[in-house]
Formats: sequence, structure tokens, C-alpha cells
Amino acid sequence: MLAAKGISKSFIAGTYALNNVDIEIRPNEVVGLIGENGAGKSTLMRVLSGTHRPDSGTLTLDGQPLRLRNSSAAAANGIGMVFQEQSLLLNLTVAENIYLGQEQQFTRFGIVNWRAMHEASRRQLAKIGVDIDVTARTSELTFAARQMVELAKALTLEESVDRPLVILLDEPTSVLSASDIDVLFARVRSLKSRASFVFVSHRLDEVLRISDRVYTMKDGKVVAEHEAAKVTGPELHEIMVGRGLHTEYYKEAQQIAPQSEVMVEAKDLGISGFFHNVDFSIRAGEVVGIAGVVGSGREELTRAVGGFLPHTQGTLKIAGETVRLTSPGQAVRKSVGYIPRERRVEGLVMFLSIAENITLADLSHVMRRGAIDYGKERRVATDWIKRLRIKAPGPDTACRKLSGGNQQKVVLARWMTAGSRILILDHPTRGLDVGAKEEVYEFIRQLSGQGIAILLLSDTLEETIGLSHTVLVMRDGEITARFDAAAGKKPDQVELVAAMV
Amino acid sequence: MENITKIKSLFANSWVQGAIPTGLLVLLIVIVELASPGFLTGETLALLLSNTAVLFILATGVTFVILIGGIDLSIQAVASLASVILAQLLPSMGFAAFPVAILSGLGFGLLSGIVHVRLRVPSFVATLATGGVVAGIALWIANGRAITIEEAGRVNTIWINETVVGVPVVVLLAIAVGLISFLILRYTRFGRYSFAVGAGESAAYAAGINVDRTKVIAFAISGTLAAIAGVILASRLSSGSPSLANQLLLPAIAAVIVGGTAITGGLGGVGRTAVGALIISIVRIGMTFVGVNIFAENVIFGAVLIGAVAITIDRSKIAIIK
Repeated sequence: MLAAKGISKSFIAGTYALNNVDIEIRPNEVVGLIGENGAGKSTLMRVLSGTHRPDSGTLTLDGQPLRLRNSSAAAANGIGMVFQEQSLLLNLTVAENIYLGQEQQFTRFGIVNWRAMHEASRRQLAKIGVDIDVTARTSELTFAARQMVELAKALTLEESVDRPLVILLDEPTSVLSASDIDVLFARVRSLKSRASFVFVSHRLDEVLRISDRVYTMKDGKVVAEHEAAKVTGPELHEIMVGRGLHTEYYKEAQQIAPQSEVMVEAKDLGISGFFHNVDFSIRAGEVVGIAGVVGSGREELTRAVGGFLPHTQGTLKIAGETVRLTSPGQAVRKSVGYIPRERRVEGLVMFLSIAENITLADLSHVMRRGAIDYGKERRVATDWIKRLRIKAPGPDTACRKLSGGNQQKVVLARWMTAGSRILILDHPTRGLDVGAKEEVYEFIRQLSGQGIAILLLSDTLEETIGLSHTVLVMRDGEITARFDAAAGKKPDQVELVAAMV
Repeated sequence: MENITKIKSLFANSWVQGAIPTGLLVLLIVIVELASPGFLTGETLALLLSNTAVLFILATGVTFVILIGGIDLSIQAVASLASVILAQLLPSMGFAAFPVAILSGLGFGLLSGIVHVRLRVPSFVATLATGGVVAGIALWIANGRAITIEEAGRVNTIWINETVVGVPVVVLLAIAVGLISFLILRYTRFGRYSFAVGAGESAAYAAGINVDRTKVIAFAISGTLAAIAGVILASRLSSGSPSLANQLLLPAIAAVIVGGTAITGGLGGVGRTAVGALIISIVRIGMTFVGVNIFAENVIFGAVLIGAVAITIDRSKIAIIK
């Protein structure tokens, strides 16, 4: 039905985001699209939805060539997209969101007939079998419910387009709980009779569960196509990352037992509304991973230790001293360093150079007689560039020109320069390719070997288990389980999941 | 279409990197030199630089605030108030009227900064409001009139109108202000933090920088320099008035932006503001030459400012302008 042939797209001269990609979406099927971050999945979706125009290659719809100038051209041809980062406006009602930009069909003389719009919105939601108040403000809805509204919104195309739809789902499950995912999948299956879906995810098990066919992407190319029934997760994983899953990936052999000195100690720690009665400790050289779904309180707990959210109950001790951190500045002075998930927003000042970013948290090493010594600053940065193998022309290179992995190394170098003894790693490998991930794992082992205490939040349970000495599981603001994860005695994912939900 | 976009982006980049403003300044100087050979020597040059000095000091102050990503709309009111305070106090206090007038600028700069960070009021609203308050105070103190600095007070202001080996004192003052500001921005923690806050406030905060303090200091400097500009202006004109600096806000901000400091913060500096202030001054002279009505000046500066911002903003970095 919808087919792409020989699609290439390049953003930076010489490197291809998409390189000669062929895919085909047949009527009434769910096509899975998997690949690591940076493999080209999102770019391909944007080409299919009209937001990016390919440099070369053609799209065809039912054999007819299709040129998409923008996303409304895609919509006019029955191609709708459900975005990974939800596109709903939280201050509007559900109905207003579903028909955003399509109000003219309910408008007479410039006045919107709200009753008709509400009625139509109810019909849309009924199609996917969910019961949501269409007059509710979207901000009052749960994340999962918003996803359903988003899906209903994409399905409004049925009214204006006289052909089966193609709905693109870009990582729809990344923030959903397991039961919400089941609901979403059930809806997708029941809608298969009237639409085709493209399902993008990096979670293999989910892709295999929902899809009929699976394309695997790697480095901007489609490297494999399988019938979902005839392939297993581990097989796909091997194709996707180019290597098998084994313990060496997480450098388990380098995991050594932590020291005895307690660096962080929380007792009855809480922030009202987020988490409560949390007890844990991190010793020097220990990696403590926290597992939990969105809303479990683990995000807020790490923000509290990083000084972003001051705790309201209990006590927090850093290196034996009772503290209440009300700003990241205070945390930094207690030698806590925070490596955020939003690298481009909170991690680095993208327009400043590598050198300036490395010394940002502690300029004292490069001050001479009250003034910044630029020569010394460059030497410090050059030294880190060598030690961490940062790929950059030099210390004056702006951080925005670096790849994700190299940016992460600059953040790390900053905290090492500032002498941090406690590091909070908030999804440290998010958005990194496999090679860069492996380097980060290597650094985590080295830091832990040097006696740095590490608090880890991670995207996958696998990573949490693989890297940690101790895994805490949080649910509804409480720690519900603790697992020892010493080298060679790693807990099973299934045990963790049982405590998470 | 794509080529035009590329050329435009190249142009925007080299503008904010400082190359185009300098080239523009050189071009303007050449034009003036061709139109009127010998104009940029001796007395006329000294006059041009003296006229630029006040604008430059005012613009330097606001450069600090623009670098952290804010804006200070109160500078002309602060400068006018300082002129009124100076004129009012010179007869009774003598030279001590200078520090008092300048401290008023520091005080209102601090106030704007604190209102901005503590009450979380956007800087343009905070400084618009403090600017209104300050303008009101100036009118009140001066009873709505200009205050002439009489013979008795002029003893203490005469030095500003002197020259040292042929260079007007106001020009030397401007050079001193420029040099100190340059050193502060390049070599102090505050200077580095200003760039960091302007270019990426969240990242600066997460790195442990005291963002609020950095902002308040920037506004304090802006207020202080505005007051310095005000007292210099009063001394040169031998008069303090609640509307003395009223036509200077627009040219000052235009000078900063035309010079190549990004309105979005984090990029630029005092050297660029010097170039921008000279461009504005020469354009002003050029307008007199060409015979543009003096009252129409701000029409040109407004247009120049819009043009400079429109050209230099890199839209790929800012999706929505509010």
C-alpha cells in the first residue's frame, strides 16, 4: 500500500541519517520498526509523515508516486502520526485537542458549535473503545489516557480521507506501564481491520508481540526484514546491535566490591506527594541502581540528592554530614555531581566550548590571581580530551558540535575536575549508540573502582542490573524491594518487575 | 530557496561572530571619509567620540544584561534620575554628589534584578516597571523641570569637559568603562557565569552556578553604568533633567545588537558594543549630512534594530518568539 524506495536523507554532509531505505506497508498489517537510537527510525517516520523531505528516493501510495510537501499533505493521503513526545496541548480540552486545526467543520459564521465537536469527539473515542470525558482538560488525564486521545486524534483522518489509514506510532510505549501497553496493543489489534500501523520501538519483546512483520534498522539502513512469528528477540537483538547479549557487555568482570565508607545515607527520606520513608545508603565505590516505572518516585528521589528538589521529611547525610540541599550549587559543594538525562538542556551549555564546560562547576583550578587562566584551562581540557578519548578538534570546540557520547564525556570530565565523590547518573546512556554506551559502562566501572559512589537511573532493567552492586525497586513512592547484584549473582529481571508493578 | 537560506544563515553566523559589524563600521568610515575628506580628524573626531561615549557607557551596561539573556528597559530613566540627583546635590554637597548619583543607579539596578529573580517577573516587565518608578521619582525630585547646574556647581563638573593631551575626558572615561567591563567579562567567575547563564540557564544551574546572583549582579552593573552615563551627560550639558536621557534607550539597545551581541544571550561582548555604538554614532552623523530631520532619528534606529535582530536571530535555535 504505502511503500518507500531508495530513500536517503543526510543532515550533515558525508553522513547519512537514512541510506537507501526500502520499506513497504501492506493493508491491515502492523509493521514493526526497530533499531537503536540513531539508527534512523525517527528520520524515516518523519519522511513518511511529510515533516522531512528525502534527498533521494520515492514514496508510492497504491503504486502511485507520492510527494509529501508537509505533514498536512501526508494527512490528506491518510497518513497520521502519533508522536513519541505527545503533541497534545494540556490547557485545552480533550475534544479541542482531537479536532485541533480541524475546527472549520464545526464552524458557522466564525462560531464553533461545541456540542457538535464534543459529539464527534465522543464518536472518535468510542472507535477505540475508551471512555474519556471529552470536556475534561487534557492536563487532568493520565499519560496513558492522553496516548489514547492522541490515537483518537490520528483516527479523525478517517472522516476526511476515503481510504484505509496508515498510522505511525513513534515509540508509543516508552512511558506506559505494562497494563497500559496491553490496552494500547488491544486497541491497535482491533483497529487493524481499518488501518495499517507502523510501530516504532526499541523494546524488542513489544515489537514482536504486536507486529506482523519487523524491519530492523542500523546506521541509517534497513538491515533485515522478518515475519514476526519466525524470529526471536535475541536474534533481532543480535542483528540490531551487531553482537550477542552477554555479561561482558556490562563489564561485569570489572565489578569489584564497594568500600566500607558510607557516602550517602537516607533515613525516612521523603518529599510530600512524590516519595516517603525511603531508607538507603551508598558506599564509596558502590553503584546503586533504582528501578521503577514513571511515577514511582525514583526521579524525584534522585533530584532530591542532586539538590533540585529539597526533601521535606527524614534526613539525608552526605559523607556523614546531615544536609538539606536546596540548590544544585549546594549539592556541588558537598561533592555531588549530577549527570542529567537531558544532556542538551541540563548537562552542557551547548554554545560554550569543551574547556568552558569542563571547568564550569569549579573554576578554582584554573584561576590565577583572581583571573581565569585561559592557558591552564585549555591544558586541563586537553588532558581530559585525551584521557576520556573525546573526539573533538580541540578544547575550544563548541559542545553542540559533539556527538552524544562525547558530550556525555565532557559532563563526566566536569564532575571529575570538580572533585565529585558522589555521582548521580540519570539515564547516562540515553540517546547513545552501542559503542558510546559501552564506553560509558567502562567509565562507570572505573569510577566505581576509584571509590566514587554512584546513584544510577537507567532506561532498561538490563542495564540497571548489569551495572549495579545493589538494585532498589520503587513503587508508588516507596522502596518495595532490594536486590543484591554482586558480580556473578545478578538478580533476574522477572523478580524486579514483580516488585515494580 | 535552499541557497538563500544558506547565505542567510552564513550571514547571521558571521554577524554574531563579529565580522560583519566591524566590516560595516569600516565601510561607514570610508563613506564618511569620501563624502567629507578630513572629517574624521582633529576636533570633529573628538566630538564624534565624545558623543559616542555616553551612548557606549549606557550600551555597555545593557550588554551585561543582554548577555545573561535578559533586557534592561530602565536605563534611560536611571540615567535621567542620576542627572537630576547630581544637579540637585552639587550646590550643597559638591563633588560627593557624583557617588550619590551613581549609587542611585546601583540601587535601582539591584532592585530590578531582585524583582526579576525573586518574584520571577520577566526582566522586560521588571525593568519596564522599575523604569517607570525611577522616571516618576526623577520628575518628583526635579518638580518636572530641568535643573541647570549653576556656576557654583560647575566647578565640580568642568573636569569632565576637559581634554587630556587632546583626548576628551569623557572618551577616556568610556575607554576605562569599556576596558574594565571587558576584563570582568573575560577573566572573572561572574563573567564566565554570565555567558553560561545566557547560553544555557538550566545547564548552568545544574552545574551548581548561582544563577540568581549572576543575574542580579548584571542588573546592578547595568544600573550603575546607566547612572554614570547620566552624570556625564548632565556635566556636559550643565543640566539635569527627568527627561535628559529619554531618547537614548533605543540607540543603546540598537548599538548592542548591531555590534553583534545576540539578543538571546550568551554570545557577544563589550568590544562588539563599542563597534555597535560607533556605527550608531556615524549613522547619526550621516543622517544630519543627508538632511534627515533630527526628530526622525529614532525612526532610523528602530528600523536598524529590527533589521539587526531579524538578521542575527538563528531561527533554528528558537522555535517560538513571544
